[in-house]
Amino acid sequence: MSRIGVFLCYCGSNIAGTVDVEAVAEMARTLPDVVYVETNKYTCSDPGQEGVKNAIIEKGIDRVVVGACSPRMHEPTWRKLLADTPVNPYMLEVANLREQCSWVHKDKEIATEKAKDLVKMAVAKVARLQPLHSIEIPVHKKALVIGGGIAGMQTALDIADAGFQVTIVERETSLGGKMVMLDKTFPTMDCSACICTPKMSEVGNHPNITVKSYSEVENVSGYIGNFEVTIREKAKYIDYNLCTGCGACETKCPQKVTNDFEQGMAQRTAIYKMFPQAVPSKPVIDAAHCRKLQEGKCGVCAKVCPTGAINYEDEDKLTTETYGAVVFATGYKLIDWKPLYPEYGGGKYEDVITGLQFERLVNASGPTEGHILRPSDGTEPKSVVIIKCVGSRDPNKGKAYCSRACCMYSAKHAHQYLDKVPDGRCYVFYMDVRTPGKGYDEFYMNTLQDGAQYLRGRVSKIYRENGKLICKGEDTLTSQQVTVAADMVVLETAMVPADGIDELAAKFTVGRDADSWLVEAHAKLRPVETNTAGIFLAGTAQGPKDIPDSVCQAGAAASKVIGLLNKDKLMSNPQISHVNETLCQGDGACVGICPYGAISIVEKQFRENSRKVVRPVAEVNPGLCQGCGACTVTCRAGAMDLLGYTNESIMREVDALCQW
Amino acid sequence: MTAQDIIRTRAKELLESGEVATFIGWEAGRFENQTTPLVITDAADADKLVFNEYCVNTLAKYVRDVIPRGKVGLVVRGCDSRGIIRLVADKVIKREDVYLIGVGCPGIKDRKTGEMLKKCAECRHNNPPEFDEMAGEVAEKPVAVERFAEVAEVEAMAQPDRSRYFESVYAKCIRCYACRDVCPCCTCRECFVDQRRENWVGKQNNVAENRFYGLTRVMHIGDRCIECGECERVCPMDLPLMKLNRKVIQDMNDLFGEFESSLSLEDTTEPLIEYRLDDVEEFM
Ligand SMILES: Cc1cc2nc3c(=O)[nH]c(=O)nc-3n(C[C@H](O)[C@H](O)[C@H](O)COP(=O)(O)OP(=O)(O)OC[C@H]3O[C@@H](n4cnc5c(N)ncnc54)[C@H](O)[C@@H]3O)c2cc1C
Ligand code: SF4
Ligand code: SF4
Ligand code: SF4
Ligand code: SF4
Repeated sequence: MSRIGVFLCYCGSNIAGTVDVEAVAEMARTLPDVVYVETNKYTCSDPGQEGVKNAIIEKGIDRVVVGACSPRMHEPTWRKLLADTPVNPYMLEVANLREQCSWVHKDKEIATEKAKDLVKMAVAKVARLQPLHSIEIPVHKKALVIGGGIAGMQTALDIADAGFQVTIVERETSLGGKMVMLDKTFPTMDCSACICTPKMSEVGNHPNITVKSYSEVENVSGYIGNFEVTIREKAKYIDYNLCTGCGACETKCPQKVTNDFEQGMAQRTAIYKMFPQAVPSKPVIDAAHCRKLQEGKCGVCAKVCPTGAINYEDEDKLTTETYGAVVFATGYKLIDWKPLYPEYGGGKYEDVITGLQFERLVNASGPTEGHILRPSDGTEPKSVVIIKCVGSRDPNKGKAYCSRACCMYSAKHAHQYLDKVPDGRCYVFYMDVRTPGKGYDEFYMNTLQDGAQYLRGRVSKIYRENGKLICKGEDTLTSQQVTVAADMVVLETAMVPADGIDELAAKFTVGRDADSWLVEAHAKLRPVETNTAGIFLAGTAQGPKDIPDSVCQAGAAASKVIGLLNKDKLMSNPQISHVNETLCQGDGACVGICPYGAISIVEKQFRENSRKVVRPVAEVNPGLCQGCGACTVTCRAGAMDLLGYTNESIMREVDALCQW
Repeated sequence: MTAQDIIRTRAKELLESGEVATFIGWEAGRFENQTTPLVITDAADADKLVFNEYCVNTLAKYVRDVIPRGKVGLVVRGCDSRGIIRLVADKVIKREDVYLIGVGCPGIKDRKTGEMLKKCAECRHNNPPEFDEMAGEVAEKPVAVERFAEVAEVEAMAQPDRSRYFESVYAKCIRCYACRDVCPCCTCRECFVDQRRENWVGKQNNVAENRFYGLTRVMHIGDRCIECGECERVCPMDLPLMKLNRKVIQDMNDLFGEFESSLSLEDTTEPLIEYRLDDVEEFM
């Protein structure tokens, strides 16, 4: 026999305005096992909570139903309250009389009937609940940041400054991400490298930060506070303890390779540093192009290296460490526009370039030393067409979303071009101009004043005629066909997630949306958390954004990590799945469905029919299980049961609803 | 040598050598056109084994009961073999627990009418996809009737007629659970109908509870059903169980692409419980 107490709240007039709370109380008094029913104007207020506590003691209540607002709102309050009483905090059921009843109904009579049903269900369920207990989980006071762009670097710095150890895993040979490729940054037009490279060296020199460049995450297991991560550091063929970064090797290497950092517009050697200010400031050998490693001939770099740092026998290194928290700062890449837009030449015209190529062209340390010269013949383009939203806001060809930074950086590009080529003409084809942000619209207005000509419409075709790139489009404001003969065309292409994000996120069981951007736990209220506890998001890994937003989010993610690492122990959520091994057949139907990889199949020994048998059964990792319940509905045998939401308690709720 | 001779010889050898502890096949019944399943442990009984066009029962599921004694040898046609694949996929048995003597099946006859059984007329894989050795050649069987013909018939009905039709169907069910007991997919250690604490289905014998049982079962076996037709054959009340089974299969075909369960040990996909990011979301 249980002794159930029911506490019904008016919530001022929020509930009482639409639900006859006293009538619900009257009904509740007739329910089996209910020994006490109380109504209150504000149950969550201090006197309200005192009343509940007193009643529990006086009436010897052992299970509690609260009929009030959504459990999302106050369930933690009630659990905390119960922790101070003899009642186990999980012997509680909240009937949502506000969000799911009074707020969504107008007719008081009907709403009252529904409230009665909700309370009946809650009473039926609470009668079947069992006490649950949290367990303590230790926290490893070390964070892992994946991705060393501006977002990753900022997150790492903030965490490290708070006194915690951080490892950054960056798969390129240097930190910096896209920001270090940019020339100037809107809206203030400060030099990107001048604000980014100091951050890079700060990260490189920080006593609490370990940079693992040219490295990727190989494997992960564990859970919040205890992620065991194996990192693969690719062979660099250079002993970084010996290398001084003098660069002698680079000057002598005979092998030339397309330079990706310069967006394919220059060449580098096979032994190379990504760019002069790279961090770590030491080269690697690009094995795929090194003559020595490919053909066994050459070896010039080893001859010129004054410290003997070159090691052609180097191999990938695997290291495994445990981290308390993980931040994804894997950033973005630009969409491969070539196969999508054959009408823009699909890549066959050298002078149709991307925004990042343009950044390198205007950059004083770029391939043209900052002179805007077109790639095909090195002449200065006298007319430039900039096309926005290439692959963005174009669900038929590219992505449905807006890439957010392009309106601003295309204005920046127009401004930079007109600044460097005063007699040039610049046309910007746009769908909309979106400039929300401090100083952003002012920046755009200035660009208009510079003389950039904005044309509203998409370019439908680009073809070459007499050395010019003919851009045909429609100006939708005047409904006129426009044709511009350009010397160079800049495509401001969509941002898409970094390569390999699906595999990486799957390893950590982090959710992705349909476009593979990583998904936050709540779009508004938990923007830097993921649904997997202990894993956070920073920067464009979560979706397109500009640098200020990336840095903001990086700080926010860092503060969440610091909050977590500050704790010595975490209390686990005991509302997790439990395997009834008698029923479990070990078929593993549940394994694949678990979004958190919490279930594995293990062989266990049982005594059945007076015989020892070894058979497979499912096992739930209590640290990984988030209590989503996906497995419980997948298991045909009903062997998976979510504690706090057991199959039995839910069936009794359904029964209560179906009785009249 | 006929397939039957080979089966007898091999069963004897397997039992004698101790390679298998039990052997499952069929023995002659009281009448010429009747057989019953036979489980033997003594090589001397091997001569009782028969194989003819009246071997009605599918054998796979019997394996589960005798496996504690050791490795099991059995004769497998298409349906038996697929049943074994299913049991292995569902971790009820291990592949190495069984020794399979494959035999081509020409289709089994109804002992009352002498016509080919409905389940065999519908069968699309009369030869075993999985076996350790074959007793004789693969067999030819008349082409299967259209897989979803029965589904189309029901779908052609107007909605109220359809609902009345299923009501009349489930009004007949006596909840004997023969369909479950014979099914190679129904291998839960405790069937949901027997779970008293949850009480998923009421014990009352009425249309609502019976239908709830039938529909739940069809969802449980839906993406694993090997279409052996045994459930329908054993139903004492002649419920047209394959109609619903095939309706689920047809829907899966439409949603996830052409599907046939348990044709090889390598591919034992279960579309209804598999989750992929690019799954269709036709209901969203
Ligand atoms: C042409 C152009 C001009 C722009 N101009 C401006 C501007 O003027 N002002 C402005 O505010 N914004 C501008 N932006 C936007 C700006 O580039 C981004 O907001 C910013 O760089 C995002 O930083 P991030 O750290 O999130 O991503 P990224 O810079 O992409 O960094 C991600 C890092 O993670 C690494 N990584 C990825 N996957 C893995 C993995 N699996 N393992 C290890 N490492 C991995 C990558 O190598 C990279 O170093 C511009 C963008 C473009 C395309
Ligand atoms: S819990 Fe259920 S689904 Fe998972 S292995 Fe056991 S029986 Fe299969
Ligand atoms: S409830 Fe089940 S599916 Fe959900 S996280 Fe836990 S084990 Fe995985
Ligand atoms: S046809 Fe019937 S008995 Fe055969 S597998 Fe399908 S549901 Fe089971
Ligand atoms: S065999 Fe027929 S009567 Fe028996 S439970 Fe199954 S459907 Fe019902």
